[in-house]
Amino acid sequence: MSSADGAAPRIALAVRALAAGYGDQPVVEGVDLDVPLGQVVAVAGPNGAGKSTLLKAILGIARLLGGRITLDGADVTRLPLQKLARLGVGYVPQLDDVFDALRVRENLEMGGYLCTRRERAQRFDRTLTVFPQLTPLLERYVETLSGGQRKMTAIARVLMLDPKILVLDEPTAGLSPELSRMVLHEQVRVLGDLGTSVLLVEQKAVAALEVSDWAYLMVRGRVVMSAPAATILADPSMREVFLGGAGTAAAVEGASR
Amino acid sequence: MSLFVDAVGFGIASGAVIALGAVGFTVQFGISNVLNITYGALMTLAAYLGLVLVGWHLSVWLALVVVAVVIGGISVAFNRALVSPLVQRGASPFGLIVVTVAAGIVLQYVVTAIAGPQAQTYGEQGNSSIGVLGMTFSVAQVTIIAITVVVMLALHLLLTRTQLGRAMRATASNRTLARSCGIATDRVSDLAWLLSGMLCGAAGVALAITVVSFDFTLGATFLIPMIAAAVLGGVGQPYGAMLGGLVVGLVTQITGALWDPSYQDVVALGVLIVMLLVRPRGLFGAAWSARRLLA
Repeated sequence: MSSADGAAPRIALAVRALAAGYGDQPVVEGVDLDVPLGQVVAVAGPNGAGKSTLLKAILGIARLLGGRITLDGADVTRLPLQKLARLGVGYVPQLDDVFDALRVRENLEMGGYLCTRRERAQRFDRTLTVFPQLTPLLERYVETLSGGQRKMTAIARVLMLDPKILVLDEPTAGLSPELSRMVLHEQVRVLGDLGTSVLLVEQKAVAALEVSDWAYLMVRGRVVMSAPAATILADPSMREVFLGGAGTAAAVEGASR
Repeated sequence: MSLFVDAVGFGIASGAVIALGAVGFTVQFGISNVLNITYGALMTLAAYLGLVLVGWHLSVWLALVVVAVVIGGISVAFNRALVSPLVQRGASPFGLIVVTVAAGIVLQYVVTAIAGPQAQTYGEQGNSSIGVLGMTFSVAQVTIIAITVVVMLALHLLLTRTQLGRAMRATASNRTLARSCGIATDRVSDLAWLLSGMLCGAAGVALAITVVSFDFTLGATFLIPMIAAAVLGGVGQPYGAMLGGLVVGLVTQITGALWDPSYQDVVALGVLIVMLLVRPRGLFGAAWSARRLLA
């Protein structure tokens, strides 16, 4: 989980001087952020810090008021979401992360919408070896599933895209502590280890640090701390600032550890 | 009793036309979330375009197909030119309803200005009849029922068996997520407006054939039982609209036969209101929603 070692890694996603909001008033301002290739980068912060807005601005959902976004060196500023998908950007929103009115099988097929029929079949089989629990649920409509099963469907769906970079907005929101742990350690971390770059927004700060290579702390629309996750975890004073900054998240953390 | 059986036959035939229209209405609403009241006037336009084609000695069935294609194109153009720009500028759902109502009225007056207010007809479509289970159908009615059944089956196969149809349902279910999968949701919207317009055109001509004599109020009058059918089935759900169409057709024709035809619409709407009081989410309620196609 270290990343501060020597040679600068290639940057999968770079954000410079980003400002974003919903009206003309910026909710997020002056954000610089890098996701190195094959690393997991977490953005933590209290409710209302602008974490989700940052993600949505990168993805062309929230209004981008300024700044520049590059994907593996290519400028993708203001590119619409469906074009970003073609460039290998996978996205799991915090809410509405599945197609409720579709079957689990169809959710996965939509995840692989951009690939050929053959690729889709191959990825389908591969995804089911990662999530064997989904096999008996394939013909079920997603709206009949439990919270954990839905989240699994959401992550399986995004894997069908075979993303180069995965953007996850609070993947553990609404999940039990055990499920949160499973999602972060067995899914997010594994993806990072397999070479997928991950940008993760997470309120559960310590849990996020444990699976990340690098972490940003956002407070009131700005990045106030940026450091290797392992450094933050090991340094008591940094850790305190980080968890203090993450605010209410620290309390939630206590319960989930 | 034979009056009742005949009414059931008429109800099925009329239900087929209502279903055709209601499914078109609901497919477009399910995907673009815009309540398109112009639909009624487009149906009137379809009937009059059919009249022009029949005047050129085309068969009514060929006219139905041609009109379906033309209205499909007009529907896409209507979305591109008016609805979609308004949505992009953040128009409220209420504002959009006002716009589609206004556009419908304008279109209806344009049709009247060109064709005149007098009643029109394609002429009688032969008088040979077919008996089924004691019910008597005209050849035209049977043809329309057959067209409806084939269209519904084709729509079902499109929505459940093809990647494009699944993309339509995915867009209806969760637009942002659909885009994140690489689905060009604007194209999907175009397709929904196209399908909706085609069904509208086919229903308009089919309606003009079944009612024999029609004028510029055709679509506006028909809009009410059609919306009733769509709401009855649960708005945005094509299978619901199919069944809703049949229910509305049967109820109106049976009351028309057993009571007084002039109360048809009143009874249809009365049934609709009672149904909604009992089952606010449409005929099937929550149980059906688990199997719904377009959310």
